[in-house]
Amino acid sequence: MNTSFNGLAVLGAEPALPHRLRLGQHNFPSWERYEAAFRDIFERQYYTNHGPLAQALEQRLAERLRVGHAICVTTATIGLALAAQALGVKGKVIVPALSYVQTAQSLAWAGVEPEFCDVCEESGHLTPDSVAPFLRDGVTGMLAVNLWGGAADIRGLQQVAERRGIKLYIDSAQAFACEIGGKAVGGFGRLEVISFHSSHILGAAEGAVVCTDDDDLAAHVRNIRSNYGMGRPVPVGKTGNGRLSEAQAAVALMNLDDLPELLARNHRQFEAYRSHLEGIPGLQLVSPTGVSASNYQNVVCLIDAQRFGLSRDVLISVLAAENVEAVGDLGIGAEWRKAGSSGTVLPNAERWCKSVLQLPIGAQLDEGAVERIAARIRLAQRHAADVARKLGG
Amino acid sequence: MFSKTQPSDLAMFGGSPVFDTIRSISNLVRPDIERFLAYSKIFHDARQYTDHGAVERELERRLAQFHHVKHCVSFAGGFWGLVMSMKCLALPGRTEVVMPSLTYRRLADIVAWAGLVPHFCEVDPQTLSITAEKAASCVNENTALILGVHPIVNCCDVEGLEALSAQTGIPLLFDAVESVYESYRGRKIGSCGRAECFSMQSSKLFNAFEGGYVTTNDDALAARLRDMRHNGLRQDGTHDDIGIDAKQNEIHAAMALAALDDVDDQVERNRRRYYAYQRLIPTVPHMRLVAFDESERCGFKNIVVELLDGWPVKREHVLAILHAEHMLSRPYYFPALHQKRTDYPMVWGDLHATEDLAQRFLMLPCGHFVDEADVESVVATLRFIHAHAAAINERFPS
Repeated sequence: MNTSFNGLAVLGAEPALPHRLRLGQHNFPSWERYEAAFRDIFERQYYTNHGPLAQALEQRLAERLRVGHAICVTTATIGLALAAQALGVKGKVIVPALSYVQTAQSLAWAGVEPEFCDVCEESGHLTPDSVAPFLRDGVTGMLAVNLWGGAADIRGLQQVAERRGIKLYIDSAQAFACEIGGKAVGGFGRLEVISFHSSHILGAAEGAVVCTDDDDLAAHVRNIRSNYGMGRPVPVGKTGNGRLSEAQAAVALMNLDDLPELLARNHRQFEAYRSHLEGIPGLQLVSPTGVSASNYQNVVCLIDAQRFGLSRDVLISVLAAENVEAVGDLGIGAEWRKAGSSGTVLPNAERWCKSVLQLPIGAQLDEGAVERIAARIRLAQRHAADVARKLGG
Repeated sequence: MFSKTQPSDLAMFGGSPVFDTIRSISNLVRPDIERFLAYSKIFHDARQYTDHGAVERELERRLAQFHHVKHCVSFAGGFWGLVMSMKCLALPGRTEVVMPSLTYRRLADIVAWAGLVPHFCEVDPQTLSITAEKAASCVNENTALILGVHPIVNCCDVEGLEALSAQTGIPLLFDAVESVYESYRGRKIGSCGRAECFSMQSSKLFNAFEGGYVTTNDDALAARLRDMRHNGLRQDGTHDDIGIDAKQNEIHAAMALAALDDVDDQVERNRRRYYAYQRLIPTVPHMRLVAFDESERCGFKNIVVELLDGWPVKREHVLAILHAEHMLSRPYYFPALHQKRTDYPMVWGDLHATEDLAQRFLMLPCGHFVDEADVESVVATLRFIHAHAAAINERFPS
């Protein structure tokens, strides 16, 4: 390993990777499998509107997740927006201030106001203690979030929801194939929404599934989306298009076939990060918490700028020069800032937003990439003062 | 081949259906698979499957060129393109959208998703569409937007509506889902009003599996729509107050490009089907084909007929008979939107012309699965219904 000072691309060395490595899982079938699947679709001439592949996908998801209903839609945000309407939440709904922007955004489409809530300092997730101060009048629901292959204290939140008579549902965009106490994510709360965006483990380019055991709720969601003869027709306030096409279903089904290998690869890469990032001062790798099984689809670190010697944002620039896409709270940080501007103090969300660093894990990492990325991070820490002089940070 | 001689031969009454498989009003056009795969290879090699990759960017460029307009912003579906455009264009502090009631069954829902209130106007009985005159009578101090909707055959009163918009200062948006290929007074649809919205769902002219797009010459509007479809996230990390995830993915974009490559050939095939109907519908008494205005560019995709005074069988019975023959004919925009129950507010006045027109028209099978021999069978069935009207009517409980 080159540990010399000039081993960093920002200081003129060769980048750690020859091509830019993007964040995200980006699992996708080989060309041969893709071509065969799409020749079949063109042969069948069934393109969308709950075709045979979408039906097969819904059935396999319901079996795997052990839920009564798996309803596929075109994106997770649209799934959450349809869910809010079907659940009939009104007034205010609690959401963690640490989440992707889609969580709170989905509420706006149902005319509901987000009540931003702080997260647990250690886990970055919601717990009964973190939501307690926010259970005010006018709160009718709680939209919990399972982030980064980990989970909120869902069982604890479920008890809170029951005691208070409010509706708990869950943005599990990042949590496909995770388990809580041995039970698959998808079966908790009134419903859960899991994303099939390319950046998550079960990619469909774009897509999502709404899961629930509640027959009435399922009928309602299906009738908003278009039910295609699935279950009974029920009147809905307004419909909202969100179909998953046969193209999206085909890719999701192939990735579902590959799931054991994808999980094993993620776990291998995650453990490689763990061992190669070990002992770097000011850098803490976040292990998935709250789950009995993780999909290890995200690698998240907390950077203590004082101890590391560089700010998180300077480290992102260092990695960009190495052809490694790393991000901080992009798409996440806006919520606590908005909450903060209205006077609410959310210290834990703020700490997470300011120190979180997300690193690539997934299909596009070659053998040895993790080691090379970690080595450059270690170098950046060792030579923090020189990097800071160069980049002014 | 149509071979029925008496009403009991109709599938409705125990005979065998004319078609083994469904002939519907959905286009379901099949682009060339090799072209689709060639476009797919681009994103597959780049290993980027969504989030505005090379194929989607090429699609937007090609569609802007096709519509003679500066910007095309693609969406996961036409529904969300319309919602976002309305959110951008509606005048602040006002709530009403002037629009026809005789139109797409989900259009009022789309207005409600945008947080606005449909204010329904009448349509012109000749064109079946909104006109400046009909819209003007609904414009008031609370009008936020005028939604010009093109009918299924030909275009609406584009210049009149543009003049009304200029005169009142109320923005004009077009729902151009059914007029992808058309021109209005020689001008390509796509650059009219402030923006125009299109769908690429598989039943439409362009089959992209699913998808939609918005065209506009307005730089700021295009830029904002690009942020909004991607959860409102801007390049600098801040975000728009309004957003959703409604991005078009690369697979759908590859399909759309293959469909675009094929569109002139498709329109030629559509024209042949339309000409077959044009030749044969006059053999059915009390029925009129709604004609394409061939002095303009036409996509010839949809076939609409009117049941004239004297047509002897109720339209719902005609539809039931056709469905049993596996001809998935549909009524033309029935019920009208103001006649449906919703849980959001709607505004309308006297719409008796709309209500009358909503009873009179049928959409007949068309698209990729229908050939000229099928057209003959469909028209023969209609002729048969007319010829045996009395016996057929007796078989329906009154």
